[in-house]
Amino acid sequence: MNQAIKAKRRFILLMLFPATALLAGLTMFPFVGSVAMSLTNYSLVTPDALAFTGLSNYTDLLQSREFWAALKITSLFTLLAVGIELFLGVGIALLLHHERRGVPTLRLIYLIPMAITPVAAVFIFRMMFNPSLGVFNHFLMSLGLPPVDWLGTPGMALLSLLLVDAWQWTPFILLIAAGGLAAMDEEPLEAARMDGAGPIALVFHHMLPMLLPYLAIAVVFRAIDAFKTFDIIFVLTGGGPGDATRTLNLLAYKQGLEFLAMGYAATIAIVMLIITIVVAQTFLRKMNLFQPKASL
Amino acid sequence: MTNRYTPQGAGLSLPITRRSFIRASTILAAGGIVYLRQGLPAYAQENFDELRKLYDTAKIDWQQSKGSAIVLGGLDHPWMNAIVPLIPMFEQLTGITVAVEKQSETEYTAEMPIKLAAGSATPDVYMVWSLGQAISAKWLEPLDAFEANPALHDADWYDAADVFSSARSFQKWSDGVSYGHAITAEAQTLFMNKTLMAAANVTAPATMDDLLAGAMAMKTDTVAGIVMRAKPTGDANPWTAGGFIFSYGGAIVTLDGKSGLQMPQTIAAVDMYGKMLREAGPLGIASYHWMECLNDFMQGAAAIGCDSSNFASDIANPEKSTVVDAATFGALPGGNGAVPKPNMWHWMAGLNAKSANKNAAWLFLMWATSKPTSALAAAAGLATTRASAWESSAFKDRFGADAATAALSNLSAADGDLFKAAWFHPKSGEILDPLAIAINEVITGTRDAAAALKDADAKVAKVLAG
Repeated sequence: MNQAIKAKRRFILLMLFPATALLAGLTMFPFVGSVAMSLTNYSLVTPDALAFTGLSNYTDLLQSREFWAALKITSLFTLLAVGIELFLGVGIALLLHHERRGVPTLRLIYLIPMAITPVAAVFIFRMMFNPSLGVFNHFLMSLGLPPVDWLGTPGMALLSLLLVDAWQWTPFILLIAAGGLAAMDEEPLEAARMDGAGPIALVFHHMLPMLLPYLAIAVVFRAIDAFKTFDIIFVLTGGGPGDATRTLNLLAYKQGLEFLAMGYAATIAIVMLIITIVVAQTFLRKMNLFQPKASL
Repeated sequence: MTNRYTPQGAGLSLPITRRSFIRASTILAAGGIVYLRQGLPAYAQENFDELRKLYDTAKIDWQQSKGSAIVLGGLDHPWMNAIVPLIPMFEQLTGITVAVEKQSETEYTAEMPIKLAAGSATPDVYMVWSLGQAISAKWLEPLDAFEANPALHDADWYDAADVFSSARSFQKWSDGVSYGHAITAEAQTLFMNKTLMAAANVTAPATMDDLLAGAMAMKTDTVAGIVMRAKPTGDANPWTAGGFIFSYGGAIVTLDGKSGLQMPQTIAAVDMYGKMLREAGPLGIASYHWMECLNDFMQGAAAIGCDSSNFASDIANPEKSTVVDAATFGALPGGNGAVPKPNMWHWMAGLNAKSANKNAAWLFLMWATSKPTSALAAAAGLATTRASAWESSAFKDRFGADAATAALSNLSAADGDLFKAAWFHPKSGEILDPLAIAINEVITGTRDAAAALKDADAKVAKVLAG
C-alpha cells in the first residue's frame, strides 16, 4: 500500500515536472531576474559600474513627475477603453442574441480585428489618420466638415487611440458576452416577460445581472491587457503630443531599450505588475466571483 | 574646426587609369544595381575582371581569410541598399562568405543592444546606431591595430585623405581611438518647390525670417508652407531642430559638456522652429517624422522641406516623386545674424568586439568604405564619405548636381563638434528625449519655448551631471 502511494506520488510529480519546469523557466526565472535587476543600477551603457542600489530605483520612480503622469494616462486609457468596449461589446451581443439569419457571418466579421496582426492594423490606421491624405479626413471633408488633427492634440490623440483599441478589442467582449447569453437560463427571462417586463427592464434587471460573472472575467482580462497597451501608442503617437500619451509601458520601453537603463526599466515593470495584481485581486474579491453560489 | 569639408579638386587618384576606373564604376550604374537586392547584376558579373583590377592594386592578400563566414548587420537604409548588391563581388574577391541581417530601424535599434549586451559574436560588422552608447558598452572593436597592420591595410590604396574631414573626425573618439568607419555623409538641406515659389513670388531664403515669411506666403488649404520633423521622439525632431539651434548660435550640449537648453539663442531657435511649423506647417504636423515630411514634399503637398540631403535621390526618382522637375535644393539660413550651421550626420559601421572573425570583418569594412566600392555605391545614388565619389558624374546623375552642391555646402557649414557633444554622448537618448518633448510642445502651442525648455534643461542637466 505504502509502495503504491509512493509510486502514485512519483507519477504525479513526473507528470507535473514538464509544466512546472516550463513555468519556472519562462515565468518565474525572468520574474526573479527582473526583481533582482530592479534593485541594481544595471545599465547596458555602463555594465562595469553594476552595483546593488536597494530600493533607490523605486524611490526615484515614485518621486518622478513622469511616473505619475504616465500612471494617470495609463489609468485613464484603461478605464475608458474597457468602458467603451464593454458598452459596445455587450450592446452588440444583446442585439445579435436570438437572431439567427446572418449572425454567424456577422460574428466572423466582428472577430476579424482580433485576428489581424496588431502592428499591421495600427500602421493602416496611421495612414487613415493622416490629416492631409487619410481617409478619415477625406470622409469628413466630403460631408462639408473641416479636417481634424487626429493625433495632434492631447485630447484627440487619446480619442484616436481609444478608437483603434475599441475597434480591435470590442470583439473580445462581444465573444464572452455572447457566450454568456447563449448559456443563460431562459426560464427566468420568460417568467419576467409574462410578468410584463419590457425589453429594457429585461436587459437591465435580468440579463445583465446574470451576465455579470462573465463580464467580470472579460473586464479583468481586458483591463490587464489595456493597462499594458504598447503597439497602438508606439506606432500612432510615440507618446505624444508632448508626453500626453506616454503610458507606463512606453516609459519602460524608453528606459530599457532607448536609454538602456535596465534596472530602472525593470523597476517600472515590477511596479506595473504590483498595480495589476492589486487592482485585479481587489476587483475579483469585490465581485465575489469565486464564492460558491450557496454562500452568496 | 576639424569637420570642415574641403572639396578635392584633383578628383580621382586611384593607382589605375581614370579611364579604367570610370569604365568599371559605370558598369554597375548601367546594370541598375539600385533596383537589385541580392546577387551581383549579370552585367557586372560578366565584367568582374575589370572591376577586380580596382582592388588588386592594394598591397594586401584579399584571400587571407578565405573560407571564413561573417554576418553584416544593418537597418533598412540606403547604405545597405547600395552595398548589399555588391557583396558577391567581395565574396569573389576574398573567398569570405557574407550573410546579411537587415531589419527596420525600430527593430534594429531595439534588438541590437540586447543582442550585443548578451555577448553575441554576430553580426561581425554592423551599422552603429549610437556611437557613444556602443563605445561605452564596449561593443565595438578598436580599429587602430588593423590600420597599423600592413598585412591587413594598405594606407596608400585606401587613401584616407579622400574621405571628408568631417567623416574622419567622426571616426576618432575622444580617447583618440578609432572605433568605426563613417559610411554616409548627410547634411540638413532645404528642399524647395520652384513652381510653388514662383507662383507665390518667393525666393530662396537668406535668413530665418525670410524662410518663415516664404513658408507662410505659400501655405494654402491644400499645400503646407513647410514640413519638418515634429514627432516627440529622440530620433525625430531634435535632429532638424538641432540645425536651427546651431544656426541661432545655441547648443543642445555645449562644448564644455553642459546643457545649452537655457541659452537665449537656443530658446529663440526653438521658438522659431515651433512658430514656423505651427503657422506654415500642415495639419497634424505634431506627429510627423521624416517619412511624412518626405512624402508630403514629394507629393507636392508641401512647398518647402528641411531634412537630410540623402532624400535628394528619392525626390529625384520619378517613380516616387511628383516634383522631380520642380525641386531645388538650398542652404539652411542663419538666425538673428548668426552663422548658419545646419545639422549633419555620418552613419558609422564598426566591428563587433566579440566577433570570432575580426580579420575577415575588417577586410569587409575596408572594402565597403574603399574608394572603388564608394564610387560604385555612389553610382547607385548613395551619399558616401568620399570626395572622389561625390565628384563622379554617375553620382551626380543619380543624386542630382543641384542637390549634391547644396549638400556639400551644408556639410561644409555644419559644426560636427556641436553635433557630437549631444548625439555622441553615451546618454544621448536621455538628453534628446526631453528636448524632443519640449520642441513638440512648442510646435503644438501647448507651452512657449522658454517654459518648455526650462523643464527639459533640468532633466538634461541631471543626466549630464550623473
